[in-house]
Amino acid sequence: MGSHCRTGRRTPMSHERIPLAPATENRLREIDFADILVGIPSYNNAATVGHVVRAVAAGLAKYFPTKRAVLVNADGGSSDDTTAVVAQTAVDHRQLLIADRQSVLHRIVTPYHGIPGKGSAFRTIFEIARRLNARACAVVDADLRSISPEWIEMLLRPTMEGEFDYVAPFYLRHKYDGTITNSLAYPLTRALYGEQIRQPIGGEFGFSGALAAHYLDQHVWESEVARFGIDIWMTTEAIACGARVCQSFLGAKIHNPKDPASDLSDMLRQVVGSLFASMERHATVWAAVTGSHPVPLFGFPYEVGVEPVHVDVDRMVSHFQQGLTDLAPLWQEILSPATFEHLTDLNGRDGKDCRIPDELWSRIVFDAAASYHHQVLPREHLLKCLTPLYLGRTASFVRATMGLTSVEAERAVEQLCATFENRKPYLLERWDERQARWDGSANADKDGAGVGRSS
Amino acid sequence: MNTFIEQAVMAPLKLLAGYAAAIFPNLVAMGILLLAGLLVARVASILAERLLRVLGFDHLCNRLGVTAALLRAGVKTDPSRLIGSSLHWTVVLVASVAAVSALNLAPVNQVARSLLAYVPRLITASIILLAGYVASNFASQAILIAAVNAGLAPARLLATCSRWGLQLLAVAMALEQLGIAEQIVVVGFGITWGGLVLAAAIAFGFGATDLAKTVLEKKLLPTRTDMPDDLRHW
Repeated sequence: MGSHCRTGRRTPMSHERIPLAPATENRLREIDFADILVGIPSYNNAATVGHVVRAVAAGLAKYFPTKRAVLVNADGGSSDDTTAVVAQTAVDHRQLLIADRQSVLHRIVTPYHGIPGKGSAFRTIFEIARRLNARACAVVDADLRSISPEWIEMLLRPTMEGEFDYVAPFYLRHKYDGTITNSLAYPLTRALYGEQIRQPIGGEFGFSGALAAHYLDQHVWESEVARFGIDIWMTTEAIACGARVCQSFLGAKIHNPKDPASDLSDMLRQVVGSLFASMERHATVWAAVTGSHPVPLFGFPYEVGVEPVHVDVDRMVSHFQQGLTDLAPLWQEILSPATFEHLTDLNGRDGKDCRIPDELWSRIVFDAAASYHHQVLPREHLLKCLTPLYLGRTASFVRATMGLTSVEAERAVEQLCATFENRKPYLLERWDERQARWDGSANADKDGAGVGRSS
Repeated sequence: MNTFIEQAVMAPLKLLAGYAAAIFPNLVAMGILLLAGLLVARVASILAERLLRVLGFDHLCNRLGVTAALLRAGVKTDPSRLIGSSLHWTVVLVASVAAVSALNLAPVNQVARSLLAYVPRLITASIILLAGYVASNFASQAILIAAVNAGLAPARLLATCSRWGLQLLAVAMALEQLGIAEQIVVVGFGITWGGLVLAAAIAFGFGATDLAKTVLEKKLLPTRTDMPDDLRHW
């Protein structure tokens, strides 16, 4: 993997072993090596994980019958029967017309160590992949309802054949499903790194064993990456280190609704925090990129009906308007004067006219990224401040695309991406400028801390 | 007549001259100490400020959020200069006390010793006040953001109350450290906080019975959901 890295900042192969449970160590000694590894992170997913395990087992039996495969379940201490379901779920190969399964599917059910979260579960899966010298790996969520055996082939085949190092998913989703992806993760990743990866935080990925080892060597496991930030981090890290990236069409993505108790603000903070932190690490990579290009897409795209999504736009607008009133002093510190002025113009407008257009949204995101870099506020506060802005933008998107078909809504997302790409010089300008922190430039200039803040 | 002038006028004058002659070296010493103190204070503050700048102290404060807290407090001086100024005035204070002590007058010496003994308490109280101020700003900002994200209407009120509550606590602790009306401060603080909590409890009990019921139902009956939409942000 080292040959793929172009940042020059990659840490050398540390071979520092991540601690695993004694039972897992014993199991690894028994299995010894593997060609393929599929990981399933889980936490209280007893209702759905059985279907996921059946799909994985069937996919491996059908498409990789001769390969030595291992299924790893990294569980976060489920209080239901998740681990028992993973260990006991069986597949009737004959029912699936699979006759030539030649290799046993080994299973490892293990707890993970570290900060509770999806990222820490992935870290354990990467470590097991490294110990078993797996050639191709994939990870799939435990709450998927629409996964089929074909997903396993689509995620593993490109890396198995050695043509690619990283496979991102390509789903069909409702136009209002995955709004963090549509309004933030996709446009920003595309504008930064120039790769048109439609689902950079999809949740299901394929990657080579070498890339898994590269992930393990990065010192990020005590950050947002250990939680929900893992998905976007894997994608940006793969692009930034020069891995060969592709996409695989997986059809519709249907999964259990997220835990209602999970806070949007926390989720947004983890994803955006991970994205901004990657920007800091790879500034030399993305600063040199202009425009974007398509990423190879494998599979056979087809139209499919997706579940309708009901949206309460008024509630989102009301959140945004409260932010305009109460968080204005903080937004003023994060945003450039011109962006802030544009935003405050929206204050007092009727809900229907209170919209954040593409141009303004791109400047808000770039200002936030630059302010994160310059640390104008405690970073956690800065990231949490963005929630009402994000809700305002989501409401604007919903209003703008109401009545449009999925294809037309997709065009709107593409238009937003083009705006992000065109406005990238603004990001570079803001990224390089230093804030005038104090009155009296003489003070600031002596330590190189300040030049005037330009808009 | 001559004897009278000798006794009534010249004798006190001689005595005064004797005192003046005796105290003159002390006065000169006081002046020298004061001048030297001012000079040392000036040089020390400039050196400290420059050294801190070279070491990147301002950037460190910037990263820790101290600069932002100072800006919000209306202090537009950068942290290096602030430390330099503090050092300057500390040296001036110590030099002044030392200069006054040079007069070698018993009451003055006693006052000077008391002043010097009070300095550590003064420094501790200042640190408590500064830490309390920074912590109150940080906490109120966090509460404001969390309350807005939770859609709570009185977000600013909550943030302001938390800021003043923490600052009040810091002031009470600082006053106790300085030994100023210790009992009154502790009792006053206890009464104020107790009163606030009691008032809030009574107000909630009388005015928001339904809200309390709803909150408890939400907590205790997990089957009830009030998700207004099924938008999936992820």
